[in-house]
Amino acid sequence: MNRAGWLPWTITGFTVLCMVVPMIVIIGTSFNSGSEMAFPPVGFSLNWYANIFQREQFPRSFQFSLLLAVFSTLVSLTVGMLCAVALSRYRFFGKNAVAAAINSPLIVPQVVLGMGFLVLLAQIGIVSSLIGLALLHLVLTLPYTVRVLVASLARFPASLEEAAVIHGANRFVAFVRVTMPCIKPGIVSAAIFAFVTSFDNFTASQFLTWDRTTLPIEIYAYATLETDPTVCAISTLLIIMTTGIVVLAERWIGLETVTG
Amino acid sequence: MSLVASAGGADRRTGRWRGGAGRGATPYLLLVPGALVVATFLGSLVVAGSISLRDANGALSLVQYKRFFTDPFYLDFLWRSLRIAVYSTPITLLLGYPYAYVMARSAPPARLALTLILVIQLFTSDVVRAYALILVFGNNGIVNRALLGLGLIDRPIPLLFHEAGVALGLILVPLPFMIFPIYSVLKNIESNLETAAASLGANRSRTFLYVTLPLSLPGILAGVVLVFLFDLTAYVIPGMLGGGYFNMIANAVFEQAMAVLDKRFAAAISMSLLLVTLALLYLIHAIGARSRRAER
Repeated sequence: MNRAGWLPWTITGFTVLCMVVPMIVIIGTSFNSGSEMAFPPVGFSLNWYANIFQREQFPRSFQFSLLLAVFSTLVSLTVGMLCAVALSRYRFFGKNAVAAAINSPLIVPQVVLGMGFLVLLAQIGIVSSLIGLALLHLVLTLPYTVRVLVASLARFPASLEEAAVIHGANRFVAFVRVTMPCIKPGIVSAAIFAFVTSFDNFTASQFLTWDRTTLPIEIYAYATLETDPTVCAISTLLIIMTTGIVVLAERWIGLETVTG
Repeated sequence: MSLVASAGGADRRTGRWRGGAGRGATPYLLLVPGALVVATFLGSLVVAGSISLRDANGALSLVQYKRFFTDPFYLDFLWRSLRIAVYSTPITLLLGYPYAYVMARSAPPARLALTLILVIQLFTSDVVRAYALILVFGNNGIVNRALLGLGLIDRPIPLLFHEAGVALGLILVPLPFMIFPIYSVLKNIESNLETAAASLGANRSRTFLYVTLPLSLPGILAGVVLVFLFDLTAYVIPGMLGGGYFNMIANAVFEQAMAVLDKRFAAAISMSLLLVTLALLYLIHAIGARSRRAER
């Protein structure tokens, strides 16, 4: 007997199946030896994994997506930390408006963002996917990093930082040496959110593909043109990567920190 | 993990500098880089808004909006997106609420497993998740092959590539957006309240209906808003599970901008979508504020 009752458990079991079975099927299908999308797989081979590397668009776009995600995460953490310190440690005029402005990209549909960036960047003459997507992903990730960092800073008592200042550290050193180590779980969690948001983004990013494309865009394009298990093989690698990140997050900081 | 919550709102009692450091220009200086990011974002909306107000020759005009709101072909993209969001969101809620409830009430190992499944879903690209659904529900997917193998059908049932197939994706894919906000409200409800209701003679369903459910309404509202907006503005799911037979409004924007290359019309459609989104959020906010007043 458990505290939730049989009906919620039954529905939860069904929902779990709806989420887990597709993942299992996509992983299983990636090992087919022929080009049919059979599950359970017919034969066993790693041909489709080899095919990922023969199609140069996948390694190339993966590299670009990774570069973009790492860059967006680092910049978003830096900018987000400055905003979070201002929002959590100071009283100033217009504070609520600033918080609302930072969050506002979240309520704007992705196609509207993509469309807006396409037009804006074309008008000021930037037709570089690297610059365009870096700016777009910064806009998309900042609300998450600021929210997580504000929450961590609010929990951390400023008196510890003040104690360091009283003992002779300047404010910057006190922040870096005392506050930052203490809010490390928040920083890691903000970094994970920013990285995943950037790496997975498809809908807004597809407007800015002048000279480069990201991995989700290449997967989408391949999936709509070809029917062989290559997409299953890439998806399996991505699911392994995601699971790795999630398991590491659970080990380091606990999933409750991530889910809030 | 409430995605629409405010970024500010730090605890007023802790985390604030005492003494003179809390005043002056410092907070504004710290906000400069963030302000540049926000300015880029707002600038993009202003520029898109301004080109949407031009006719084919570049003169100021409402002709793009007139075209969108009078041509049934284009207006139908908005209508069908609203329609599918209206009936998919409650089903996501019906699947998601019990999940959140079980997660909040179960022992740590089960809770961890349910959280892990959900976080992996949340962190996996929509493109991958939609593709996985094709492998399950497509004409050649495991569901159809199982039914064929059992001899229950003699040709595959087309479960995808029409409105119901897109709805299936829109019900399943945004589940984490529904579950997390409800879970974070449910786990903070005092379990004493439920015990008290039970000790006063309420059975489990009465306790749920009169105690737990009303207290979890804020979580339900947050989840419903997130999922409704996800459905309304979906691109990947109609694109992949609709297979071109059921495009929604986001697909129409992309097609006008990148295939037809009519950026002014694409901008007008996207601004209309933005206005609909903001109007809905305002409406929900107003209803929420009114019901909170009524409680007092």
